Amino acid sequence: MQSQSQSQSGPVAQLLGLFENYPSLAETYDEMFDGSTPRGPFARVAALLDKMRPEELARAQALAETALLQQGVTFSVYGDSRGTEKIFPFCLLPRIVAAEDFRRLDRGLQQRMRALSMFLDDIYGEQKILAAGVIPTEMIHGAGAYRPMLRGLKPPGGVRIHIAGVDLIRDTAGTWRVLEDNLRTPSGVSYVVENRLISKRMFPRVFDAARVHRVDHYPTRLAETLRSVSPVSEDVNAVVLTPGPFNSAYFEHSFLARTMGLELVQAPDLFVDGDKVYCRTTRGPKRVDVIYRRTDEAFLDPDVFRPDSVLGVRGLMKAYAAGNVALANAPGNGVADDKAVYPFVPDMIDFYLSEEPILEQVRTWVCLFEDDRKFVLEHLDEMVVKAVDEAGGYGMLMGPQASKAELDEFRTKITAEPRRYIAQQRVELSSCPTWIPDSSSRASGAISLSPSGRVEPRRVDLRPYILTSREGPWVLPGGLTRVALKRGSYVVNSSQGGGSKDTWVMKEKA
Amino acid sequence: MISRVADHCFWFGRYVERAEATARMLGAASSLALDAELPPAQVWRPVIVVTGEEQQFRESQAGDTDDHPAWGDAELVQRFMVWAEHNGSSLHQTLRAARWNARSIREVLSLETWEAINELHLWSDSSGAQTIYANHRDQFYHHVRRGTQLALGLMRSTMLHDEPLDFIWLGVLLERVSQTARMLDVQHHAFTAASKNPTGGEIIETALWLSLLRALSGSEAYLKRSAGRVSSDAVARFLVSEAAFPRSIAYCVHSAYDRLADIRPPDRHDLPGGSALEQLRVLDVWVTARGKEPLGSSVHDLLTHVVDEVHEICGLLGKELLGAA
Repeated sequence: MQSQSQSQSGPVAQLLGLFENYPSLAETYDEMFDGSTPRGPFARVAALLDKMRPEELARAQALAETALLQQGVTFSVYGDSRGTEKIFPFCLLPRIVAAEDFRRLDRGLQQRMRALSMFLDDIYGEQKILAAGVIPTEMIHGAGAYRPMLRGLKPPGGVRIHIAGVDLIRDTAGTWRVLEDNLRTPSGVSYVVENRLISKRMFPRVFDAARVHRVDHYPTRLAETLRSVSPVSEDVNAVVLTPGPFNSAYFEHSFLARTMGLELVQAPDLFVDGDKVYCRTTRGPKRVDVIYRRTDEAFLDPDVFRPDSVLGVRGLMKAYAAGNVALANAPGNGVADDKAVYPFVPDMIDFYLSEEPILEQVRTWVCLFEDDRKFVLEHLDEMVVKAVDEAGGYGMLMGPQASKAELDEFRTKITAEPRRYIAQQRVELSSCPTWIPDSSSRASGAISLSPSGRVEPRRVDLRPYILTSREGPWVLPGGLTRVALKRGSYVVNSSQGGGSKDTWVMKEKA
Repeated sequence: MISRVADHCFWFGRYVERAEATARMLGAASSLALDAELPPAQVWRPVIVVTGEEQQFRESQAGDTDDHPAWGDAELVQRFMVWAEHNGSSLHQTLRAARWNARSIREVLSLETWEAINELHLWSDSSGAQTIYANHRDQFYHHVRRGTQLALGLMRSTMLHDEPLDFIWLGVLLERVSQTARMLDVQHHAFTAASKNPTGGEIIETALWLSLLRALSGSEAYLKRSAGRVSSDAVARFLVSEAAFPRSIAYCVHSAYDRLADIRPPDRHDLPGGSALEQLRVLDVWVTARGKEPLGSSVHDLLTHVVDEVHEICGLLGKELLGAA
C-alpha cells in the first residue's frame, strides 16, 4: 500500500553530514530513511538538510525556541499557581509526508468524517445502525459521552463535526492507521501554523526545494466553515469561546480568534434572552450566531449538563435547540470518538456509505463479544486493555509490562464487566530524524557559544485536521506531528516530554 | 466590543503607563541623589509617598524606626519599588500585570505590541535584568522605559485606531493624570516644607524642580516654554495647564475626553457611558478654567480635586462600559 518506488530510487549520494551514521531503530518504520538511504521522495530534501552543520542547526533551534517564548506561543502548565507557561518543545527537522501518501490520507479522512457524521445524525435520530444490529445498543447507551437529551435535535446547518483532529500512526510496515478520532475540541492546530512560520524562516532553501503545501489558510477556511452553518445569512457574528487565560490551550484560542478576526469571549460575556444568545459589549448587547466553543460541553449550560456548575451560559442549549445559534463542535459528538465505538467505525463506513474503509485502524477486540473476549483473556500479556469510560491513561493495562497480579486483576474485571473493556494490540510508532541538542546546551537555557547536538530517530504520530462545512469535509494538507523526545519513549504528549515538528506535505509532481 | 475585553484594554494601558512612570521616577530620583546635596530621605521618601504605599513600605522594612526611617536608604526604597512581590506598585508586579492583561486580550493587540510587552516581561523575570539592576542601575530604568515606550508607540503605529486602542489610550491618559497630579503634589508639599528650612537654597530648589520635570519627561519642554527660568509657580502652572505638553493635567484630561467621546459619542444617548463622559467633560472644563487664574497656594486642593474626580470617573467607566458588577 505504501509507495513501492520508495526503496528503488537509484543511486543516492552518500550522506556524510548531519545524517551520517543515522542510527535507524530496529523493527520500526522510519519516516525518512530506509536503513541508511533516504526514501525516494525525500532524497533531495535529505541531501540538503544533510549539508547543514550541527552548529547551524543548534543555533537555529535555540533561536526558534526563543522566538516562540517571546511571541508567547506557550501552553500553561496545569497545577502551577504562578501561571507558569512553557513552550511546546519544537524540533526544527521537519516530518515530511509524500504526496502519494497524503492523497490516500485525504480521501480516507474525508470518508471517515462522512461516516462519523452520518453515525451521529443517526444516533441522535432514528438509530438505524442499532436496529440493524451493527453496533450493540448497550455499547452506545453505556458510553458516557452519549447524550440522550439531544436526540431529535438537528444542529443549525446540519453539521456536527466542524473541526476534527484524527490521530494517525504508522506501524512497522509503514501502514498508516487511525489511533483515535477527536471530535469534541481537538487542539494543536495553532502549532501547525506557527511551526511553519519558523521552518520557513530557518530553512528557506530546503523548504523551497521540497515543494510543500501551505497551511496558513487554515484560519480562513475555519472562519468560512463557521459562517457556513450560521442560522442567519447576513452580518454573521461568530465568536470563539474560551475557558480563559488559565486554560492550557489559551494561546490557541487567542490565536484562532485573532487570525480569524473574531471576538474571543468567555462564558460570563454571553447571556441568553428569549432563546437568543447575546454578548455584553460596550455598546450594549450584541447578537451571537455561531460559537466556536473550546470549552468542554459539560460546562456549556448549567441548566442542561451540570446543575451544580456555575460555569457556562444559562439557557444556551435552549437557544441551540431553537436553532438560533450554531455550536461548533456540536454537543454530543463524544459518542462517536468513544473508545467503545472506535472498533465499529469500519462497520459504519460500510453501513452508511457502502464503501470499503480507505484507512486502516488499530486491531481492536470488543470484550463484550464472546469470541473476542476469549482471545483477549488468552493473550492478555500481549494486549493493551482500556476501560471504555476512562481517559488519560487511567483504567488501562499494558499487558507486556504488567505484573502477574495486574494481569489477574484485569482478567477478573473483564470477566465481570465485559462491556467496559476493549483490547488492542500494542501499537508501534514510526520514527523520524530528530535534532537532539547536547544536554549541556539545553539545560542552561541560554544560547551557548558552541552549541551542538546530533540527529537521532524519535517516535512520532500525526494529527491532521479536517474541517466540515455545509459543503462537506476538507483536510488541511499538513498537521501536527508530535514527537516523543525522550529516547525509547512512545509518549508524545506535551505534558510528558513530547514536542512537535512541522509537517511538510509534498505537492504532487507538476 | 466585549466589555471584559475593554476592561483588559483599559488596564493594560494603565499598567504600561504606570510602569513607565515608576521607572522614570526612580531614574530621576537616582540622578537627583547624585546631583544635589540633599539628605537621602528628601530624595526617596516622595517616591514612596507618590505610590501611596508608605505604610506598607515601613511595615515591610525590619530596621525601620521613627529615628531612622527606611526611606532614608536608597537601596531599600528601590528594592521595594522594583522587586517587592508584596508591593502591587513595584515595577516587577506592574509589568507582570500589564503582561497578564495583554495576554488576556492577545487577539486584540497587534503582534508587535504584544511582543514588545511580552519581551519586557520576560526580561524583567530574567537573571540578566537582575545583573543590570545590580551593576548599571540607570541602564535598568532606561531599559524599562524603552520597553514601555516601544509598546505605547507600536500600538499607535500598528493597531487599528478604533475602540480597543481608544480604551487602552483612555487608560494611559487617566493613569497619567493621576501620576502627574500625585508627583506634583508630593513635590510641592516637600518643597514647601523645605523652603521653610533656612539651609535650603535656590540651587537646591531649582534642582528639585528640574528633577520633577525630568521624572515627567518634561524638562526640555518646560525650558522651551519658560526660556530657562525655573520657579515653583511656573513649573506647577506648566504641569497643570500647558495644553501642548502631553503629560500636563489639562492635556491628559482633554485627550481622555476625546477618546471617550470617540468610544461613546456625546449625542448617542442610546449607548451606555453617558455619566462617565459627562463627568469627564465637566472636569475638562474645570481644569481649563484653572489655567486662567493664578494657582497660588491652591495647588494642593486643585490636585486633590483632580485625583478624586479621576477616581470617580474610573468607577463610572467600570460600571457603565467595562462590565464591573
